[in-house]
Amino acid sequence: MTARRAGQYVALLAYLVFLAFPLLWLLSTAFTTPAELARAGSGLLPGAPTLDNFVDVLQRRNLAGAAWNSARVALGATVLVLVMALPAAYGLACFRTRLKVVANGWVLVSQVFPVILVVIPLFLILRQVRLNDSLVGLTVVHAVYALPFALWMLQGYIAAIPRDVEEAGVMDGAGRWRVLWSIMAPLLAPGLVATAMFTLISSWNEFFFALVLIQSDTKETLPLMLARFVGAEGQVQLGALAAGALLAIVPSLLFFAAVQRRLTSGLLSGAVKG
Amino acid sequence: MQGRRLAVAMQGVAVLGAAALLGACATTPIDDEQGPATGPVTLTFQSLAFQEPSVAATKKIVDDWNAAHPDITVNLSQGSWDAVHDQLVTQFQGGTAPDVIHDESADIAGFARQGYLADLAPHIPAATRAAVPQGVWDAVTVDGKTVAAPTLLQTYVVFANTALLQQAGVALPTGPTLTWDALAAAAKQATTPSAKGLGWGLRQPTATVVGLGPNFDAKFFTGSGDTADVVIGDAELEVPRRIHQMAFTDGSLDPTSLTQSGTDVVKAFLGGRYAMIVAGSFIAQQIKEGAPPGFSWTVLPPLAGTSANQAANPQTLSVPADSPNVAQAAAFIDHYMQAQNLAAVAQGEWLIPTSAAARDAVTTATGGKDGWGATLAGADNLVTAPFQTVTKYPQWKDQIATPALQRYLANQIDLPTLRTQLADGWKQVAG
Repeated sequence: MTARRAGQYVALLAYLVFLAFPLLWLLSTAFTTPAELARAGSGLLPGAPTLDNFVDVLQRRNLAGAAWNSARVALGATVLVLVMALPAAYGLACFRTRLKVVANGWVLVSQVFPVILVVIPLFLILRQVRLNDSLVGLTVVHAVYALPFALWMLQGYIAAIPRDVEEAGVMDGAGRWRVLWSIMAPLLAPGLVATAMFTLISSWNEFFFALVLIQSDTKETLPLMLARFVGAEGQVQLGALAAGALLAIVPSLLFFAAVQRRLTSGLLSGAVKG
Repeated sequence: MQGRRLAVAMQGVAVLGAAALLGACATTPIDDEQGPATGPVTLTFQSLAFQEPSVAATKKIVDDWNAAHPDITVNLSQGSWDAVHDQLVTQFQGGTAPDVIHDESADIAGFARQGYLADLAPHIPAATRAAVPQGVWDAVTVDGKTVAAPTLLQTYVVFANTALLQQAGVALPTGPTLTWDALAAAAKQATTPSAKGLGWGLRQPTATVVGLGPNFDAKFFTGSGDTADVVIGDAELEVPRRIHQMAFTDGSLDPTSLTQSGTDVVKAFLGGRYAMIVAGSFIAQQIKEGAPPGFSWTVLPPLAGTSANQAANPQTLSVPADSPNVAQAAAFIDHYMQAQNLAAVAQGEWLIPTSAAARDAVTTATGGKDGWGATLAGADNLVTAPFQTVTKYPQWKDQIATPALQRYLANQIDLPTLRTQLADGWKQVAG
């Protein structure tokens, strides 16, 4: 092994440690007792590993219920975004109309407004249609919030697909909808997966809209539940928070693991090669 | 042509989809004009109880109430201190705030001034009012209206590692108060190569500085509401000056601790790196929980300058002005304020209940151990602070005072500069 190669491995290892350390710390904290966490000098590994923090969040804090609420909202928002963004992005990417400029401009402008600016009008609108303190309302809000970026993402993927493929379909007698669903959608799989991942993770982690819109304990999402481990003046129930956060990232990791292959294999399946 | 029509149709899908979803869910408009409730009513109570025993005590209070009042059901929900202000801003705007709101007096003053909170004065029984000192009621009185019931109080106390103090030859203070001079002397004497005499978590220093300011008769503000003006004189700068002196002249206060939170500093205290720390009384819970075997600690008498006064910023229970059930909500608050209930919540949070009867109950339950005796004694020194009635105080605190004090306590600016920044900053904020 050359010195250069060894250096590369050392650099890679250092980078991995840098990336993994927060996760290791989270893992360690989740298995450490509150008494040990309160003491100075506790090491990275817990002195007397315990599952009490997990028991606490699962039995007394209803983590499972909050996770189920988050899952419903995130999946609902993801489906809504994909259903709305695919045809809209196809239209915006493939057709030259004046509406395209206006629509893209509006999408861009909508990203400029800070959340804090829109949250009160949004809250009032949702209240009028009785969608405040409602997971359906939160799903719609998350979908609308993710939609502009999803549109931009998908437009990029659609623009990268050679028009020859589309034209070949038309030559074979396929209509626009057929072209979209039977030809473009499969080729767009990586883009759709990436968009779904973005939307799902955004919704799963979203805190502020949920904080404002959800009032009932039974409808709280994971970020809301985790926030309750933080008290006034810097008080934190660190062990329970770490255990809850650790459990909260498991679905994201599983989702990534499940779709990762699809994401990369789709990218490699070029439509016009050969 | 077909392509263009399709393009327009597709581009409209997103908008139509969202509109259809919203429209499908829409029902009849909400009636904003709700009159006083008749018959059985349901109240929502958002509690911010944090520690587990306090959460359990709150649940028991609600359960007891519901059992005794089948016509007034209270639904308990859990909020968080970190987010309550943002939540209330939108809920007041939308008319969906809980019927009983748990918060603190410094936060609700702004809402009260905007007319969002009901006047509870007509609904609070004389016995409940008499149980709480008038000075504490003053902290929840805005424009002559009692906008909340004060429940729990916090004081800043000095926690001491008795072994380290004794090793350094520092006699444990036994008087009714501990003067700042005595604190500085003890910290200096207890400072060794391996331990500092004092640690003080002041990452967010403003609350502590204005809270302890009354020790030296600091006012910080004259007037109230929108017409208030800032006052930054020697009295107002005395607390930060003394902290700075201990950190950078005496070398008895660890400057690093000034950049940390109160809970961070506790770890070093339990690790024997500080002989004393100054922190909110609730920190006792963390010390009790994390103290290694054999660790001996106590709470020293209340800090005193020209007096032992500290600013009272009580936790509060309020009712929205637009609630149709103000009387019922106030009746529940009165139930919550009963001595045994208040004592149970206070004991769980390691805070001071506002009524003397509840403090007696805590003393009885704890035997005054684990610092409870000295902590509860601090209640007699709590006074109304002018900043609580100043509308722009929260903005001044966050945007001006906190960064300026942080710079001063990091030894980046001197005292005259701090004075200028605090005063000039107020002009920016107040316009």
